[in-house]
Amino acid sequence: MDRRKFLKASAVVVGAAALPAMATAQTTGGTFDLTIEAVDSEMIDGVFVFSLMFFDRSQEGRPILEVTEGDIVTINVTNLDTRPHGFGIPGIPAASVASIPPGGSATVRFTAPVGGTYMYIDPTLAPLNRILGLYGAFIVHPKLGTTAAGSPTPYSRSTHTPQVAALFDALGVHKRFPGNKWVPRDVERDKLWLFSQVDPLIAARVDAGEVIPPASVVPSFLPRYFMINGLSGYDTAPHKIDASLDWSKGSGRIMPHGREGQPTLIRNMNAGLCTHSPHIHGNHIFKLSDTRANGTVVLNTSCYELDAWPMEPMARRDVLLPFEKPIDAVVWPPKEEPFPMRYVMHCHTEMSQTAGGGNYPQGMVTHWEMTGPL
Amino acid sequence: MQAADWTKTGVKGELTYSTFGCNPFQESNFPTPDRVAPDVNVERHMDVSLELPTPDGQKIRVWTFTDPLAPTVAGRAPMHPAPLMRFRQGQIVHSTLDPKKNAHTLHHHGIEPTTVNDGVGHVSFEVNARYTYQFRPSRAGTFFYHCHRNTPLHFEMGMFGPMIVDPPEGPGTLFSGGPKYDVERLLVLDDMDPRWHTLEHDAGMCGLDVGLNRFDPKYFLANGVFNNRTTTDPRVVINAKLGQTILIRLLNASYSVLETTIGLPGICHSMDGCSLGTEPWSSPLPLPANRPFTMSSAQRRDIIIRPTARGTFPVRFRFLHWVNGKVQDNGRGIVDTRIIVS
Ligand SMILES: [Cu+2]
Ligand SMILES: [Cu+2]
Repeated sequence: MDRRKFLKASAVVVGAAALPAMATAQTTGGTFDLTIEAVDSEMIDGVFVFSLMFFDRSQEGRPILEVTEGDIVTINVTNLDTRPHGFGIPGIPAASVASIPPGGSATVRFTAPVGGTYMYIDPTLAPLNRILGLYGAFIVHPKLGTTAAGSPTPYSRSTHTPQVAALFDALGVHKRFPGNKWVPRDVERDKLWLFSQVDPLIAARVDAGEVIPPASVVPSFLPRYFMINGLSGYDTAPHKIDASLDWSKGSGRIMPHGREGQPTLIRNMNAGLCTHSPHIHGNHIFKLSDTRANGTVVLNTSCYELDAWPMEPMARRDVLLPFEKPIDAVVWPPKEEPFPMRYVMHCHTEMSQTAGGGNYPQGMVTHWEMTGPL
Repeated sequence: MQAADWTKTGVKGELTYSTFGCNPFQESNFPTPDRVAPDVNVERHMDVSLELPTPDGQKIRVWTFTDPLAPTVAGRAPMHPAPLMRFRQGQIVHSTLDPKKNAHTLHHHGIEPTTVNDGVGHVSFEVNARYTYQFRPSRAGTFFYHCHRNTPLHFEMGMFGPMIVDPPEGPGTLFSGGPKYDVERLLVLDDMDPRWHTLEHDAGMCGLDVGLNRFDPKYFLANGVFNNRTTTDPRVVINAKLGQTILIRLLNASYSVLETTIGLPGICHSMDGCSLGTEPWSSPLPLPANRPFTMSSAQRRDIIIRPTARGTFPVRFRFLHWVNGKVQDNGRGIVDTRIIVS
């Protein structure tokens, strides 16, 4: 592990501000410079696991790449690992390069498609390189995202279904949703839950130079760590909220936070191999989008409410957390119970609530909080 | 009862690595804030003594919640799943947990109360003596309740029971303005890994590796009935007369992806306790006969079926592994039952 990056992820040791997790990459003229590097990455229990990760200039793992529909996007990828790798964004065929040799570089250039949530990955040896950690979020903001009635949405108007438009139009108007419209490009109203799992045995075999046949990965996969945006358990929520907290990265990008009536988008993706069942307390979510088989974004024609939803491997599914008053509370706002109202989100396929084989519970869990009534 | 000291709970107490997971806040006789007179009282105690005889001649120990207020001796006995809670939409419910030994919680899944009534230890507290959870269900539909302490283990061990909220009209109507039904069948699907059922109450907490990331179920049940008897057991089989409307309330209480195939066409009118089609952004979902659909862990589906002919129609549940998608236990993870229309 001589010259390898050494990522200490645990807030327990280093304090939340130092978490090296998923900052938004700064783009200059739609250009991103990514490297692929080997990393020793710390798990929630202090164990270090060999991983492969995309980095950008900020040295933060798995940068979130954000662009606007119609942008000419250039992504330069340099492979600093000792094995060949590739790059791809399912749903954007032009954003793909089959193989980059060790030490080599490649560039993809494409026009950003309609608004939605995408995932960039290393598709080579699928699913092996992806589950070793080579994944990240690619977010496209719409050029014209408002409904015909003027409500902001995260999606291009040309793709709106009547149901998605009706829901965003109801925000701030309908008796269920007093408060605000959804606010675009506000990191407090736009959260990301990118799920993944780590199998340290497979990682160690790759690190030792073993060539693992991709077809053998799924049958032998035994994950021991489960994460959101590369973080687990205690690290997935900021436990000290003040003016210095950066909501654009780390646990701030994970944890929904705000007053009643501040609807929040949550972009769900699963880079791993387990089918998760994220379950949220306190509010149901509205299911907004799915992905077609070819990877493009499709908006739903029934935005029904769920408190648990399936996230199969490679699924991308946006949901809206309405920040409604907890509708079954007897007294609202409460007189004898203080704010914030704090609710968990955990995966109900409960093996994912473990870490290192035991339940801390430091697994795939976070919370969201409502800081006050309207 | 003393006033609440919030600093002893996750509401205002310091949330550390330890209190987040290993040693969550615990409280005895914590007073329910904003307590008002209830319309209905339920109570649950914890019981670890129930042993179920398995189809292969073994016994498997399950943990459950008992109902000390049930009117009959049989109703107060440990059972699996735990006894049904059934409320009316708009009632103020007081649901009291007495864990008897060790700490547990009651989370009424799908119900959305204030934080301290939600039953999650690290953001509020675990109950080590008595606590009365207070809520007012505002939606009619299918819910459930379960323990949220060491949740992977306690839920798998059987610490859950179904919960139904009826609209003000009462049973027979799924939700106000929604479909009516004549025959109601709640089906709770569960899988069990016998290895997990030999573990201790706190197994896996505080960093101990007991392999809770591995789940290899060997037993598959519907309504507590093992799958060798689910095609005939009256607790599972659905009987209706031609002309009657059937409501099936499905709950995936397993850790598998549950794939359901019903030999009759139906319509899903609510999911996770929420009606479909009562607001402009959602609509009921048609379920053609024999077309499989899946539910991940903890999801519910309320399905209305209106048979148009007499006959016996198959219902099959396949429990799929969360990684490889194969039927659990080398293809044996299947529960079959039937809808008999006479
Ligand atoms: Cu328990
Ligand atoms: Cu639950």
